[in-house]
Amino acid sequence: MTVEWFWPEGFYTLVMVGVFALASFAFRQPIAVALAIAAIVGALISGNGVPVDHLIEGAFGYLDTILIIVCAMIFMKTVQHIGLMESAAAWMIRRFRVLPFRLTMGITALLMLPGMITGSSSAAVLTAGAIVTPTLLRLGVPPVKAAAAIALAAIYGMTAPPINIPAMIIGGGIDMPYVGFGIPLLICTVPLAIFTGMLLVYPSLKQSAAIGPGGEDKELEVELDRMARVRLTPRLMLPFLVLVVLLGGERLFPQIAPSLGMPLAFLLAAASGLLTGQKWNPMEAATEAVQAALPVAGILVGVGMFIQIMTLTGVRGFFVVSALALPAWLLYVGIATSLPLFGAVSAYGSATVLGVPFLLALLGRDEIVVGSALSLIAGLGDLMPPTALAGLFAAQVVGVKNYFKVLKVCLLPAVVTAAWGILIIIGADWF
Amino acid sequence: MILTWVYWAITVFVIVLVVRSLYREKSLREQFVAAMVLVPLLLRVLFIK
Amino acid sequence: MFEKRYLASRFSATLLLLGAVAVAAISAHSYLRMHHPGPDVDRVVPREGFVHKRLSDYFQGLQDTPADTDVYVQEGEQPGGTLLVLGGTHANEPAGVVAAVVLLENADVKRGRLIIAPYANLMARTHTFPQDAHPQTFGFETSGGVRRTFRYGARTTNPVNEWPNPDIYIHPASGQTMAGVERSNLNRAHPGVADGGMTEQLAYGFMQLIKQEDVDLAIDLHEASPEYPVVDALVAHERAMELAAMVTMELEFEGIPIRLEPSPKNLRGLSHREWGDQTDVLAILMETCNASAGRFRGRTGEALVLTGEDKAYDKAAELGRLYVPWESWDKRIAERVGRHVTSVKLLAENLEFVRDDAGIVIEGLPAYTSLSEEGVGAYLRD
Ligand SMILES: [Zn+2]
Repeated sequence: MTVEWFWPEGFYTLVMVGVFALASFAFRQPIAVALAIAAIVGALISGNGVPVDHLIEGAFGYLDTILIIVCAMIFMKTVQHIGLMESAAAWMIRRFRVLPFRLTMGITALLMLPGMITGSSSAAVLTAGAIVTPTLLRLGVPPVKAAAAIALAAIYGMTAPPINIPAMIIGGGIDMPYVGFGIPLLICTVPLAIFTGMLLVYPSLKQSAAIGPGGEDKELEVELDRMARVRLTPRLMLPFLVLVVLLGGERLFPQIAPSLGMPLAFLLAAASGLLTGQKWNPMEAATEAVQAALPVAGILVGVGMFIQIMTLTGVRGFFVVSALALPAWLLYVGIATSLPLFGAVSAYGSATVLGVPFLLALLGRDEIVVGSALSLIAGLGDLMPPTALAGLFAAQVVGVKNYFKVLKVCLLPAVVTAAWGILIIIGADWF
Repeated sequence: MILTWVYWAITVFVIVLVVRSLYREKSLREQFVAAMVLVPLLLRVLFIK
Repeated sequence: MFEKRYLASRFSATLLLLGAVAVAAISAHSYLRMHHPGPDVDRVVPREGFVHKRLSDYFQGLQDTPADTDVYVQEGEQPGGTLLVLGGTHANEPAGVVAAVVLLENADVKRGRLIIAPYANLMARTHTFPQDAHPQTFGFETSGGVRRTFRYGARTTNPVNEWPNPDIYIHPASGQTMAGVERSNLNRAHPGVADGGMTEQLAYGFMQLIKQEDVDLAIDLHEASPEYPVVDALVAHERAMELAAMVTMELEFEGIPIRLEPSPKNLRGLSHREWGDQTDVLAILMETCNASAGRFRGRTGEALVLTGEDKAYDKAAELGRLYVPWESWDKRIAERVGRHVTSVKLLAENLEFVRDDAGIVIEGLPAYTSLSEEGVGAYLRD
């Protein structure tokens, strides 16, 4: 790396990252605030003053995502308040307790489903993840492993068809329509989902099943009865049915189903909770939901500001071209490391900033397969702190305070995931 | 067109909830995060950006 | 004690709320400048002979909507063919916009008709795209010393006019699915829908114009990023291929190397595909090289828009990540505009060889070398 290349953008990079680390770790500022401070300092030292319009414009890059997260959270709080979540979990434990392999696959599929449909790992964690959590813990899966399993399955769900937003972003960069991605994305995700489920969930479930049928565990039975005090009737499940119909319909039959968008679908599903006959305070649930969603929404605002200033100052180009400057044999290593690392500012951000250049660097191979694999690796960014949308939410849902413990467990599956992605890129033309 | 106004209403609703959270939050740092989120939402419901 | 703390947090909440409103107001002031930029920004001075129309003259539905845009028509003394030129389909591709303005301010039509819509998607000119950090305007100085300023907009329609985008956009004419944001992209919305979204209505308006004016040749002026395979290129509908091939050779002869690409049949919604399929127009799209919208670009601002000089691209070229030698590329806006203007001129001149009685003769246009030597400002009026 020459001095001419490094100066001044490399210096700006170091300052922005340094200020961010300092603000978030030394001064204990929320990640959102730390990102905003780093962006402002980056603008100042590059001679741009405090460009308020640029900072806020950056935040607009995630306005739609913020609305999705807030509305998904309102849906989740509703499902909690009406007692559906606990009741459903109790049913699952009773039904599948003695069949550990099926239970593992069923849980994994359930965890992936919302991500497949919404294209958002956080939505998957906040819906299916939250519902499955009590089951997993009750059946003896250690909390840290449960959080890791939920986060990883959510990421595989986000990557799996029919909806994969990073793949759409990456394809959009070279005017490639989002068509024909189904099979490649299944190849990208299904083996990994099975592997992760067997690694993190299956051993505990098997042990739990070996103890014997539920009847012997009095404490568990009491707990299950408490959880299932609201009866799991189709009427109680209405919010879920509405959500599946609205989101699934739009995704699977886009030609006939109305295109409401995810925020509206989540809100309508939440509203249908009023018809379940349960007593709850909707306004209270919604405020709780916003309070829970604010940290992530704030991070997205901060990330938007950060990326805008990176672009303004040339740090973005410096970062991207430095990644491309890796020697040919290191290109794959570069993909496997920089895509997840940049996910520190979110997987979507990583797909935008790095996914497209890497696809361009690999042009000439089957572009759909390469784009699918890149989206898989970019998805790992949702594990990367400080943003770690999937990871942090999973830790929160399970109740693990220290996310780094979860990250440690995720490490092996993440490495396997990146390796699988690289293998698919290398073998792209065999498809 | 109808959907635009539906989303306008959703955004107004979210603004109300964010302001409500802002007043419930005791920690200044978390209040600051709520204020940050508010800015783009306000500009969108005013159809400025 | 508790009371006091409670009051303190209420007080700080109110302060922060006011702070958020203040920050919103400051940035709103900047964003509103893009909505109402003042009479000097995006001003055009059409050469005498042009008749001013509006797109709503062809499709009533656009009247009093933000999509309605200016259309200028000049008719030569001799009858001949009709040429339509669109600038600013994508408002973040400045050479396409400026080339259309240079045509509008210099073209002297002797034969046939020339129709120009310099700001095809006005709704894309009222905002800059998040995280792109583009400047709001860029400009040139004319020989008379007047500053001519143009807005640097976005690829897509302002969300203020088209919100929310669906999660998946289904191109209405073909059923093809695309990323949701493409609903706001004029060059995915063709042939348009009369009662669709604003961008679809806009596309519909251009389709009506092409039909009602009986356009023979339609040219959509764009720019693309240097790392994109289709740059310094001419993309032609299959019926326009013969004409495009002739012009490609002439351009090479004049020292302007250009790639010729067939319009992909499976990529729907694009001007060169839908115009050509729905009418008998010869549809062509042209791309020059715009580093300021590229993904490898470094420091972003007006200088990059005008000069195309960028150390990140220099390095990317060194690394062999670009498709054409960066050194010999037309990076400055003067050459990019020169490319577009020269190509339009040659396409018009050659039209009569592929279509009887459709000859078009346009005089007064600056040559590629003149633009390159004197700059764009020399060919804009005061
Ligand atoms: Zn374009």
